[in-house]
Amino acid sequence: MIHSVDTILALVLLSILFSYGYSQLFRLIIVVGFQGIVVSIVPFFIGHDMTAGGIVFTIATLLIRGIIIPMSIYIAMKKRAIQSKVAPIIGYQASILCGLGVIVAATYISRQLNIPSISNYTLLFPTAIALPVTGMFLLMTRRNAIAMVLGYIIMENGIYLIGTTISVRALHIVEFGILLDVLAGVMIMATILQTIERTFDDVDTENLRTLKE
Amino acid sequence: MGQFFISILIILFGGFFSLILVRKAKFAKIITVFLLSIGCLSGLMDAVLNLIQPGIAGASFKYLNVFFLAFRMDGLSGFFLVVIFAVCLLATLYSFHYMEHSGNDVRTAVNYFFFSILIASMALVVTAANMITFMLFWEIMSLSSFFLVIYKHHKAESRKAGYLYFVFSHVGAMFIFVAFGIVYGYTGSFGFDAMGSLPETAKILVFIFSFVGFGSKAGVFPFHVWLPHAHPAAPSHISAVMSGVMIKIGIYGIIKMYVLLNFHTPIFGNIVIVAGVVSGILGVVYALGQHDLKRLLAYHSVENIGIILIGLGIGMIGVSSKNPLMAVLGFTGGLFHVLNHSIFKSLLFMGAGMVLHKTGTRSIDALGGLIKKMKITGITFIIGSLAICGLPPFNGFVGEFFIYIGGFKGIALENSVFAASIFAIVSLAVIGGLALACFTKVVGVVFQGEPRTKAAVDVDEKGPTMLISMSILAGACILIGIFPQMIIWMPIKAVSALGLGYNPIDFESILQMTANITLAATIFLITLLPVIAIRWFFYRGKIIRRSGTWGCGFTQPTVKMQYTGSSYASFILDFFRPVAPLDEDHPKITGRFPLKTYYKSQVNDIAELNMKRVVVNPVLFLFDKLRWIQQGDIHLYIGYILLAIILLLVFI
Repeated sequence: MIHSVDTILALVLLSILFSYGYSQLFRLIIVVGFQGIVVSIVPFFIGHDMTAGGIVFTIATLLIRGIIIPMSIYIAMKKRAIQSKVAPIIGYQASILCGLGVIVAATYISRQLNIPSISNYTLLFPTAIALPVTGMFLLMTRRNAIAMVLGYIIMENGIYLIGTTISVRALHIVEFGILLDVLAGVMIMATILQTIERTFDDVDTENLRTLKE
Repeated sequence: MGQFFISILIILFGGFFSLILVRKAKFAKIITVFLLSIGCLSGLMDAVLNLIQPGIAGASFKYLNVFFLAFRMDGLSGFFLVVIFAVCLLATLYSFHYMEHSGNDVRTAVNYFFFSILIASMALVVTAANMITFMLFWEIMSLSSFFLVIYKHHKAESRKAGYLYFVFSHVGAMFIFVAFGIVYGYTGSFGFDAMGSLPETAKILVFIFSFVGFGSKAGVFPFHVWLPHAHPAAPSHISAVMSGVMIKIGIYGIIKMYVLLNFHTPIFGNIVIVAGVVSGILGVVYALGQHDLKRLLAYHSVENIGIILIGLGIGMIGVSSKNPLMAVLGFTGGLFHVLNHSIFKSLLFMGAGMVLHKTGTRSIDALGGLIKKMKITGITFIIGSLAICGLPPFNGFVGEFFIYIGGFKGIALENSVFAASIFAIVSLAVIGGLALACFTKVVGVVFQGEPRTKAAVDVDEKGPTMLISMSILAGACILIGIFPQMIIWMPIKAVSALGLGYNPIDFESILQMTANITLAATIFLITLLPVIAIRWFFYRGKIIRRSGTWGCGFTQPTVKMQYTGSSYASFILDFFRPVAPLDEDHPKITGRFPLKTYYKSQVNDIAELNMKRVVVNPVLFLFDKLRWIQQGDIHLYIGYILLAIILLLVFI
């Protein structure tokens, strides 16, 4: 039987594949926002007892992850007239191939680990592994700094998914901690981005090489 | 412990207000200083009450499952709380006018914020009842004081000082971590109480590691290198707190570990005495060679930490040789010196701060004749100097006196104790003599004579709160010096709370000694005051003509005829040249009418030199070899992070 969570997670996996292939920044932003929303609603379906506080937390997460962060990145991008290409180091086709490889490897690894508490959901663990790896991949292979920030957010989405599913007991503490983490991370990155942009008139991280002693 | 926590909260609120009210700087400062003072005062009262009625109060908080915070207040922590809150109270008062024209409101606000955190964390460190709590607040203490040191972060010198302090405090913390790690490895608990059950070799290891760790905070030679850099960099009230109180937290750590380990071997006592003697003598020798007033005072902190350690060492040897009186005298003397040093050292730093504030220079040889314009600063500074030299009837004498007597009790015992005691006594005497030389230099050059440069000519002393706090401290120096029994019960209570392995002994003999001190001081005053009165009587109505100091009957005296600090100290420094290499730079003077010349000298700290040679250079060499890792490509760096995560996942 296909669980409703698995259906949702299939969407996440799809968004992962898209994120490997997109060249336009604003599409990537939309995908990340979509992914944020989908990841945030997983706790509703996973069968934990939802308290009122829990629901509020989850909705707050959804808003921040799915709407506020992507929107603010989008606005920043428009305002600063930042180049709208992600400037890949590895090409798009190769990236998608890598993405497929990542998903397959993640599935394989999750079979090997076989954690009993979440084994009802076939796709949960593979997605949770694939997301951080994807984020890492984007961080490493995209020269545009905003694309790297998006990679970071994807990574955090993955960590959130792991956190909410594995730690049943201290659910909201973990959720909230991760949320704070993301906010702080994005804020710091925004500051750094601004500095990079002001110094080099561009957010291509290749420029940073000149800072080496 | 309710009142204690409320005090801490008030203090933290004070710091918080200074940040949120940063736009209204004047108002914020009033509120902050008020709240900090109220908090310190309430904490002080609580600590004193706790000492009067020794009870053990405790509190613990469980926030997370694994780590829980626990606090406990006993005699020892009560004693240190008294020191912390008393000095911080006066330093806060002092800061009110000291920070008046800082020129940068944000920086002042941040300074107050970290100051409040520093006070709170110091108080929480000494009340911590398990390793987690202790390390947590220890780190907060180190970090907040780091931010206080880099107050003038636009100056490279301050940044360097801050960096050095950061490195030292964290390497020190690492040693403490190792010590605690060994304990945890054996007992499997973070509690302090289990430490007594370790095997003996482990106890020795734990003590040595924690001694190094706490010693680097306390400024024990050779881990004192950060101290002479950090103290001059910080604002003066911060230097007063850091030197008067914060480094004593290291002493607290050493005593605490000694008590917890509950292992009475002569090894500990000997280690502590040797460390104390070396820091004491070298500290004062290096102090003699300094030209910077605050740096000189910083080296005197090293010296006084040495004296405190000698006291503790005598106490430890007394415990191990089963001589309770020697033990009690040593510990009481050491702890009493903790209190006394915090009083006169913060007084001296405040005086130095006033001099710096008004003249704009810390260089001793640029000053002179200040006592004529800065009466209160000068007189309180002289009182502080007499106290730090250990002269009666001031408070510095009393603590050292107990240590001496403790040492003399040890002379009658068997060989090893005899040797250690004699060693301690002789070194104490040497330290006292050198300290006297050093402070005659400071007082003579800075406050007496004639102004050497323009900076010292047009000075005044303003800032009521600064003068008030200095006067209170100077008053305390005299009062404790004459009536030690008013305060002596505090260290006695602290020592009796240690619960060392001896039977309770009567403290009557100690009280008797303090009574004798009072008697002697009274006799001293009885002879001194009439002399002053007689002088006043005979000079009454006569014309007293004042002329420049060191005029020596010359018709055209110049300020250059005066002794400088360097020339005064040089004959002593010559003797200590092997341990204090002196770099001199001056051209040879030739001819009958030589042209203008100059003289520069610098005393090198052998700890600093050797640390550079043995530790810093090899480390730099090693990391130079790893420079290829830094490619400048951010993607590669992210790759490194990924690699590290994968490696961690594989190995753990």
